[in-house]
Amino acid sequence: MESIGWGKRRTRRLGILGAAALVVLTLAACGGGSSSNTTTNGGGTKVSGGTAHWAEAPQATPNYIFPFASFSYFSVANLTQFQELMFRPLYWFGQGQTPNLNESLSIANLPSYSNGGKTVKVTLKPYKWSNGEQVTPQDVIFWLNMMKVEKTIWAGYVPGTIPDDITSITTSGKTLTFQLSSNANSNWFTYNELSQITPMPMAWNLTGSGQVATCGTASFSSITTTTTKDSKGNDVLTPVSPEAKSCAAVYTYLDSQAKKISGYATSPLWSVVDGPWKLSNMDTSGNVTFVPNTKYSGPIKPTLSKFVELPYTSDNAEFNALAGNQVDLGYLPTQDIQSPATSSGSGPCDIKPGANNPRLSGYNIVPVFGWSINYFPYNFQSTGNGGQAGKIFSQLYFRQAFQTLVNQPLYIKKIDKGYGVPTYGPVPVCPNNKFATTTEESNPYAYNQQKAVNLLKSNGWDVKPGGTTTCADATKCGVPAGTPLSFDLQYAGGTTAIDQLMQGEKSSWAQAGIQVNLKSSTFDTVIGTATPCTATGSTPCGWELENWGGGWIFAPDYYPSGEDLFQTGASSNGGSYSNPQSDNLIKQTTQGNADLAAFENYVAKDLPVVWQPNALGVAEISKKLQGVGPPNPLLTLNPENWYFTK
Amino acid sequence: MTGYLIRRIGQAIIVVIGVILLTFLFTQIIPGGAARAALGQRATPSAIYRFNIENHYNVSVFQQFWIYIWNVLHGNLGQSFRQNQSVRSLIESKLPKTLVLVGLSTIFALIVAVPLGILQVIRRNKPVDYILTGVSFVGYSMPAFLLGQLLILWLAIDLHIFESAAPQGDTVWQILSDPRGWILPVFSLSAITIAGFSRYMRSSMMEQLTEDYIRTARAKGAGPSRVLFRHALRNALIPIITLLGLSLPAIVGGAIITETVFNYPGMGLLTTNAATQNDVQLLVGTTLVAAVATVIGNLVADLLYAVVDPRVRYS
Repeated sequence: MESIGWGKRRTRRLGILGAAALVVLTLAACGGGSSSNTTTNGGGTKVSGGTAHWAEAPQATPNYIFPFASFSYFSVANLTQFQELMFRPLYWFGQGQTPNLNESLSIANLPSYSNGGKTVKVTLKPYKWSNGEQVTPQDVIFWLNMMKVEKTIWAGYVPGTIPDDITSITTSGKTLTFQLSSNANSNWFTYNELSQITPMPMAWNLTGSGQVATCGTASFSSITTTTTKDSKGNDVLTPVSPEAKSCAAVYTYLDSQAKKISGYATSPLWSVVDGPWKLSNMDTSGNVTFVPNTKYSGPIKPTLSKFVELPYTSDNAEFNALAGNQVDLGYLPTQDIQSPATSSGSGPCDIKPGANNPRLSGYNIVPVFGWSINYFPYNFQSTGNGGQAGKIFSQLYFRQAFQTLVNQPLYIKKIDKGYGVPTYGPVPVCPNNKFATTTEESNPYAYNQQKAVNLLKSNGWDVKPGGTTTCADATKCGVPAGTPLSFDLQYAGGTTAIDQLMQGEKSSWAQAGIQVNLKSSTFDTVIGTATPCTATGSTPCGWELENWGGGWIFAPDYYPSGEDLFQTGASSNGGSYSNPQSDNLIKQTTQGNADLAAFENYVAKDLPVVWQPNALGVAEISKKLQGVGPPNPLLTLNPENWYFTK
Repeated sequence: MTGYLIRRIGQAIIVVIGVILLTFLFTQIIPGGAARAALGQRATPSAIYRFNIENHYNVSVFQQFWIYIWNVLHGNLGQSFRQNQSVRSLIESKLPKTLVLVGLSTIFALIVAVPLGILQVIRRNKPVDYILTGVSFVGYSMPAFLLGQLLILWLAIDLHIFESAAPQGDTVWQILSDPRGWILPVFSLSAITIAGFSRYMRSSMMEQLTEDYIRTARAKGAGPSRVLFRHALRNALIPIITLLGLSLPAIVGGAIITETVFNYPGMGLLTTNAATQNDVQLLVGTTLVAAVATVIGNLVADLLYAVVDPRVRYS
């Protein structure tokens, strides 16, 4: 999912909930404040009521309310920082600074697996919608019915996975029983499949105002579709059964209603919520006001009387708002960090913030880890560099040399001012988590210039530090003699940090005679270019290296099993990395009982992409605001936990 | 005059269509196409295929162009898939903001710059002239973001006299009713414009004062004030009218830096973001608005020449 939050950098779509920017959170104690029921707390007197203001990331305003987002609206700003405040997903992820499943905030109990992982049982908790109706198993099926018909729309869809792998669903009381077509790894199915589901109320089962549909009440098995191929071989999904056609009509209606942003707060559709908040006002500029849902069934009821999200045009504008105490929870732009963070030496995740910016004395400064990795792809199919780029990238020794010249700790210290963590493999090393292995954490390719030079020399290259290395022995290089190590790297520029990082890495690669020609471009141009391609006839597959500056945030595929990114043919495998052993290891983590270790260690060493330092966001939290806790690595918001003190 | 007007409007329509066609052609070279730009990197081939069908991107560029023109003639400027709003509604919500910001700053700049330019001519080569010239150069060379940020830090954050952000309302009334919000951005933007306008005014007045008709007026006994304001000023305003005509696209197009610094999302930011985010429909829509403003600005300037200069007649 596209991640823009806590002010850092831009990552890709929800797998990319993410921004050249992590984000921005901000809220404040403006005293919209109402009543004042008070209790005591360690940090002062707890005040009931008040309005908290939170800063949205620049150019990342929420603009889509229907929790069945197409690719265009599949973003952190829309999902985790907007929709999920009102419409709770079946399972909630993020517990403290971990990405773990949070059973307490989920609207279902933990799933149980049997029959070798082919049967999954999910039991709902007694939640209610704000219109008084129960949240039922049929509300879950309503969402799955929709997905069955509109799966090409839903941005979380991966062919062969949910709903394709569900053969039947039965219900009994509050329990749903899923029968799957093949064995599923329980971690993977919970974290990557069930994680996508958001129950939908029957109040949405409409094809027009007052026109009740059959989609919402239909059984999963009654939804039938057919798939044909167009002239270019693309799948074209067509609803067949009346219930399936009804689902298509419901989607069209709800999507059309979701285009009326100014009408969200007064819509009879979107006012039916099961989350702790409901909209009281929203405009097209991104100003959003939430008020508590007084009928919320969850464990923690809101204390605040309002929660306001505010849009900003730039980092500067957001910083000015912070300095003026107009927001309670915001982010500190990198350029405004005055004292670098330090590490106590107990690991890369142990980051101690430096002193706060002197203009922000009313705030506490907190590093924000993201459940993300940062990288950029090689194009293994590239016809660049005289047709040899893809062939060079396919040589493991070259990728090892290239990666060995990336000095991540140095860039984190100098460019990110200490607010960064390294990426050494396909699983985030930070925040501390149960998935990262010691092999990955130990950095298999620590910076070593001489080692990189030796690797190239031993594989037939005539290394010319500061010049251009060329292939001297074709039998060892894997490419014709005379081929230069010269590549084009397009990156999403515009921020000082990424410009410095790219220049720094260019200099480092040049130490082994690897010439990298940098070209700064926009984020959208880079992601538009970094897509899988194959040269055909007169159509080249020209790009070589593309860096959009953020990598990937794991959401709602919280389990970093790699099938989205590194499996052969995956839509987000932009560089067309293909390795049977890696594919097999991924399969074992999704359909077998293997944990991530084997896959993770293999991919960390096989270097399908260039691992990059991952800049952190830096949150600024008003000292008057309590209950925020360590920011969630999935960038979700839980303002129901927040309260002011006096 | 009527014939001239008809000719100019005809030319304007051709220019606008030409600009739109060029913009359309440029959007064809977006990496990954409009679908990829709208749907993002994770989009599957099936999703891209469906998007292209639903939005007519599966037909030739010229067919797309004619569909667009047809829709424009029916008031439909398309849909921004990045912002989930129609292009028309986006422009309708941002244009008033920009009109207020750039319009007010232009008016303010004129009110200050014209008298300043005249004063410099009257006090030519005197200390006042030197001081105002120096101040103008400083103002003219001052980066907008620096001036804006300095004003915010000093007057808003430290002294709390003004707001650090411009008014966030969408209507002209909502904006104007919050002077603590709009004074700083208007002043910040006009400070730079004043410097330019006053330099033009000064040089234009000085040029007029060397003309034969001024000598004749003085020979006939006209006093200094009459020479200055009745004879020289009218002709000296002609370059300012040209500048004003050229300002219309800016008034509609927005002031990206001021909008960014003062958290005031107007047309400038809208257009820039459309360009950087490959938001094709929005980019073409804002280009259309800018093109129309440009031709109207030029037309209005030409017509005003005839008003202020009796020698100019369009017959």
